[in-house]
Amino acid sequence: MSTSSRSRPWIFLGKRLAYGLLAILAIAVINFFLLKMAPGDAAEAMAGEAGTATPEYIAELRAQFGLDQPVLVQLGHFLARLATFDLGYSFRYGEDNVTLIFDRLPATLMLMSASLLVAVIGGIIFGVTAARYANRAPDQAISLVALLLYATPPYWIGLILILVFSVWLGWTPTSGMVDVLAFNTGWAHVVDVAHHMILPALTQAFFYLAIYIRLVRAGMLDVLSLDFVRVARAKGISESRIMYRHALRNAVLPLLTVVGTNLGGFLGGAVLTETVFSWPGVGRLMFDAMFARDLNLLLSILVLSSAFVVLTNLVVDLLYVVINPTVELK
Amino acid sequence: MAEANPQPLLAVENLEVAVAGHPEARILRGVTFAVNRGETLAIVGESGCGKSMTSLSVMGLLPAGVEKTGGSLRLDGTELPITDNRKMRKIRAARIGMVFQEPMAALNPVFPVGKQVAEVIGEHMSLSRSAARARVLSLLDQVGLPDPERIAKSYPHRLSGGQLQRVVIAMALACDPEVIIADEPTTALDVTVQAQIMRLLKQLQIDTQVAIVLVTHNLGLVAHTADRVAVMYGGRKVEEAPTRELFLNPQHPYTRGLLDATPHPDRQRRGGKLLNEIPGTVPSITDPMPGCRFAPRCAFAQADCQAAPPPEEGPAGHRVACYHPAAWAAQDKTEAPQ
Ligand SMILES: Nc1ncnc2c1ncn2[C@@H]1O[C@H](COP(=O)(O)OP(=O)(O)OP(=O)(O)O)[C@@H](O)[C@H]1O
Ligand code: SF4
Ligand SMILES: [Mg+2]
Repeated sequence: MSTSSRSRPWIFLGKRLAYGLLAILAIAVINFFLLKMAPGDAAEAMAGEAGTATPEYIAELRAQFGLDQPVLVQLGHFLARLATFDLGYSFRYGEDNVTLIFDRLPATLMLMSASLLVAVIGGIIFGVTAARYANRAPDQAISLVALLLYATPPYWIGLILILVFSVWLGWTPTSGMVDVLAFNTGWAHVVDVAHHMILPALTQAFFYLAIYIRLVRAGMLDVLSLDFVRVARAKGISESRIMYRHALRNAVLPLLTVVGTNLGGFLGGAVLTETVFSWPGVGRLMFDAMFARDLNLLLSILVLSSAFVVLTNLVVDLLYVVINPTVELK
Repeated sequence: MAEANPQPLLAVENLEVAVAGHPEARILRGVTFAVNRGETLAIVGESGCGKSMTSLSVMGLLPAGVEKTGGSLRLDGTELPITDNRKMRKIRAARIGMVFQEPMAALNPVFPVGKQVAEVIGEHMSLSRSAARARVLSLLDQVGLPDPERIAKSYPHRLSGGQLQRVVIAMALACDPEVIIADEPTTALDVTVQAQIMRLLKQLQIDTQVAIVLVTHNLGLVAHTADRVAVMYGGRKVEEAPTRELFLNPQHPYTRGLLDATPHPDRQRRGGKLLNEIPGTVPSITDPMPGCRFAPRCAFAQADCQAAPPPEEGPAGHRVACYHPAAWAAQDKTEAPQ
């Protein structure tokens, strides 16, 4: 019975995609109402900036944006456009929302991948080391640092990093993604971006790094107490091979699940990190949209993010099946 | 066989094992035994008497928090470097193979079993990939698994306990070790499968002359497979004899108790109980009692038993550590005329 579902992955895929679409729809509707409840709208914000906040002008703007329609009609329009992958136009930026978001997406994805890699790889290396020397000095040091990273707010870590590495030591730039005055191209550009990315990536990674260290350590200790580890030792293979091949392969399964659920968190964290480091990504765009009351743009970002999270979770679930032969698709 | 060979293949002498940092918690209190090529020595005794600790000592795989505190472990005359993991790795599986109790838990769930057998070969033998593959298949065939190609590709959760134990045995045999230590290799298996696995081990022994140390508390298993039996109690060996001799002529009260505790339809037919249990429990490893550790449960204990641990005595073939061996012989005589 369980074999059949493993051998018919398209049924699993179809089901998961259907659930995913439902989830995105629900997120779109809920966020639509949430943002409607928020005080102020784009018309007020724009009129305020223009300095001509006469009621007539605001009403005119509202009519132009369709903001004078009944809420349910607005929702209907919004969903109808969504169905055709049309996320609307941002009057604030004078650009299609989709174009705006996809222009900023590479920067965010790059930062997110970098911090994800730091958190996962660091979590594995330090977690395995801590488990290998459980309750001895290396473990105690690692566990203490993990606790500190876990307990400290990320924005504070970000500010401290800027203070130490940018201001005092002058090793890294304080903000932005490139050195705008340098006009680097090719390899120099890559190095420049990487240089700018170090601090924001670390800032965003630390909290998750702490979680993953603890998770991997606990998982490894569980696995290391299992019989097959002793059997592996009786084979005469090296301790690192036992750690990284036999034990980690099992301990990494729960990590994968958690990383999957954290992907949304990484995206959410981007707002904060990108703001602190002036990183020109979607998170920063979201922050600006919020201030400009560009609720349509905000909504578009939320819907696209949820689609992204749904998709990545699906990929993680599929990966899980590839890594763990005993799991069945449901 | 044992007497003919001047130097036994595996010799354990006065092995002492204790909880690290607690020398008073003595798990093994001087265990001595030896095995020769082609021979099977069974180690029997109640749960907790130290059988597994003895086997793990030989592998240099004592759990964290437990350490060897004395004695010697020699393989073919050379001391085993059990504290040097690097050197010990070259001996594990290559010269001493081990088969464990729980086949269901002995294999890594995330790798196909063929890969896990191949890993041993890759570690200890310099074979090409294809030669290693061929060896895995021939090993799986040798341990009586049908369709080795298919089994090799299977993950552990797809195989039965008996099949898994055969895989574990294939792993233990992969590098032609001189000794196999089998710690309760059949306890977790069905009775019919138990017999198959034991027959397999015996057959492999005939083919390869491997020495087998069979750890078990199943005396029935011992009767059919072992050449000699060592009985352990409370971290000590209390009796050792050729299998037949031990069954027919036990000398130690504990051995006799163990034999009585095995289900015995004959005795039931004669009007006795099917099973006689030994009353009382095993002393704790920290119990400092100076004399015979079986004394609190022994029906034949006398004042002199409490003073010092009884030394091992008797002819080379039949050793016993008891001040009053076979004391029941005298008792039976006095009870007989009534
Ligand atoms: N990790 C450990 N730390 C401390 N003491 C231990 C540890 N493992 C086992 N012991 C003690 O060592 C003694 C011998 O244990 P061992 O596992 O060798 O018994 P055994 O004869 O194999 O029993 P069983 O038939 O249940 O397998 C037991 O009394 C146990 O309490
Ligand atoms: S030495 Fe004494 S107490 Fe120990 S087994 Fe022999 S008779 Fe019993
Ligand atoms: Mg045991």
